[in-house]
Amino acid sequence: MKKILMKGNDAVAEAAIQAGCDLYFGYPITPQTEISEYLSLRMPEEGKVFFQAESEIASIYMVYGAAAAGKRVMTSSSGPGISLKQEGISYLASAELPAVIVNMSRGGPGLGNIQPSQSDYFQAVKGGGHGDYKVIVLGPSTVQELVDLTYLAFYLADKYRNPVIILGDGMLGQMMEPVVFNKPDFPPLPAKDWAITGKDGRERQYILCFDLDPRGLEQFNNKIFKKYQKIEQEEIRYEVFGEDKPEMLLVGYGTVARILKSVVREAKDLGIRLALLRPITLYPFPSAIIQKLAQQAGRVFDVEMNMGQMVEDVKLAVNGAVPVHFYGRSGGMIPSVEDTLKRIRDILGK
Amino acid sequence: MSPFRNQIEIAWCPGCGNFNLLTDLSEALSELGLKPSQVVLVSGIGQAAKAPHYIQANVFNGLHGRSIPVAFGIQAVNPELTVIAESGDGCMYGEGGNHLIHAIRRNPNITVIVHDNQVYGLTKGQASPTSETDFVSKTQPLGTVSESFHPIALAISQDVSFVARGFTGDKEGLKSIFKQAIQWKGFSLVDVLQPCVTFNRINTFGWYRDRVYPLPEEYDPEDQVSAFKKSLEWGDKIPLGVIYRHVKSVFSDRIFEKLGRKDFLNPTSNYQTVFEDEKPGFE
Repeated sequence: MKKILMKGNDAVAEAAIQAGCDLYFGYPITPQTEISEYLSLRMPEEGKVFFQAESEIASIYMVYGAAAAGKRVMTSSSGPGISLKQEGISYLASAELPAVIVNMSRGGPGLGNIQPSQSDYFQAVKGGGHGDYKVIVLGPSTVQELVDLTYLAFYLADKYRNPVIILGDGMLGQMMEPVVFNKPDFPPLPAKDWAITGKDGRERQYILCFDLDPRGLEQFNNKIFKKYQKIEQEEIRYEVFGEDKPEMLLVGYGTVARILKSVVREAKDLGIRLALLRPITLYPFPSAIIQKLAQQAGRVFDVEMNMGQMVEDVKLAVNGAVPVHFYGRSGGMIPSVEDTLKRIRDILGK
Repeated sequence: MSPFRNQIEIAWCPGCGNFNLLTDLSEALSELGLKPSQVVLVSGIGQAAKAPHYIQANVFNGLHGRSIPVAFGIQAVNPELTVIAESGDGCMYGEGGNHLIHAIRRNPNITVIVHDNQVYGLTKGQASPTSETDFVSKTQPLGTVSESFHPIALAISQDVSFVARGFTGDKEGLKSIFKQAIQWKGFSLVDVLQPCVTFNRINTFGWYRDRVYPLPEEYDPEDQVSAFKKSLEWGDKIPLGVIYRHVKSVFSDRIFEKLGRKDFLNPTSNYQTVFEDEKPGFE
């Protein structure tokens, strides 16, 4: 299979086309505008729809409509734009509609800046919008994984009739790496017999996002939470990297996990045994494996490009069994291998 | 140099139409005898939205598309301030288009200055709401399919209090419009043709210069129907000047009338009475 050198944003866009994305709606924002630029050229070539809306809000509701019509659809943005889409994401989850949302996140809060950040973790995995709902969140770490998780995102969205967020960052969106486009053979999906298609010979279709009867709404919420339970049982993905019998378990996702792999290697040269647990799915979160490895290692060190967000889920997983340390850089700053290693050595006294 | 200009390094492309706009607005503010402390500039996001940073006055750099409601909020609590919302066509007409419509309806005493270059500059060249149909850009490689937005026609259709069009290649005309708009009591919208020399190779200084003309002396800006007709003029000929104005009561005065008072700063006022005509309901 041919390797192509590609920018992360372009790679997501190409993978979306190959995954069968029929429509894309976007609005410019740095550092992800290349996704729009790429799709504006490629979607018409494929006979598919690209449209730049007047705002992020308009684009998420165009996604809502296209998803309700049974098509594969995607939007992308970064931090501030994703905040604007949150209302629509809550409605998509409530209407049980599949859609893929890419966030090449940047420094926040507010307008923040255009440097890479992981400070949208809470927003992505804890709901972001209002109400009881969950969104599947995938955390790629390389340009290749951006491609692979884009295929997966469209599949999972359809499988569970739920929005899926690909949570990258400005670094992954802007970096170039060699990639292979190798679309996996996913198991067949059920027909979208719920879609608003306007065809004759059947009862009219209803797509709703409300139930004014509290008993009915509770029933509905119980139903979607059963679905989330299934997602938590079947869809957890993670990578374990590094040494057996580590003195400390590192936890980090996305861009940070790349840095932590270097930390593991450098530590080995110093005679320090480390292992990295890299969550690939951020929701569902790989709590059980973290709990198991944390207890084996006796100590956890969570590193993020934010003020400490995923560390809360790590602590819930560990449940007080062993100490959990945290190191974070925020505002678009990136933790260095040296600083991270120094902190690890301080904790271990080595 | 106007006391409203500062020494902050400007991050616009050489030759950008924003430079003239910045100079003309700064001069207009000082020629009106305003002090920097009396002026608040509110902006959104985009190349145009950087302008308030380069003007020596109070600055609120808000978020994309929302400068008008922020300006409304600032002016509502302190009606003595000169409040100017300043941003680009993407920010004011796209992301914030709905806010523009409702600000016109309420008529707060604010001035909205739109740097209209018919393209997104900060994100490096995508079609904006005012880009003409078939405009080719990085995200519209086959040319944009949407028809362009007509801010002045929209404003007049909603009986805006004041609307004008200026051009950054017409210094005296633009300065005069700024002064009239800022002095105007009520909502004033100024659409400024401001060429983007990097991302819009169609609507250049030359393109505008060949088409713009000042409204003649005898033009009556107080007739809504003829002003609306004038606002539709675009293409070979583009009129510059005050296209429509209508003296109307402003938002804060209408509120004070209901309250029977002159300002919001006295904490003893009973704000409930403002909303007495609104019946409780469910949404």
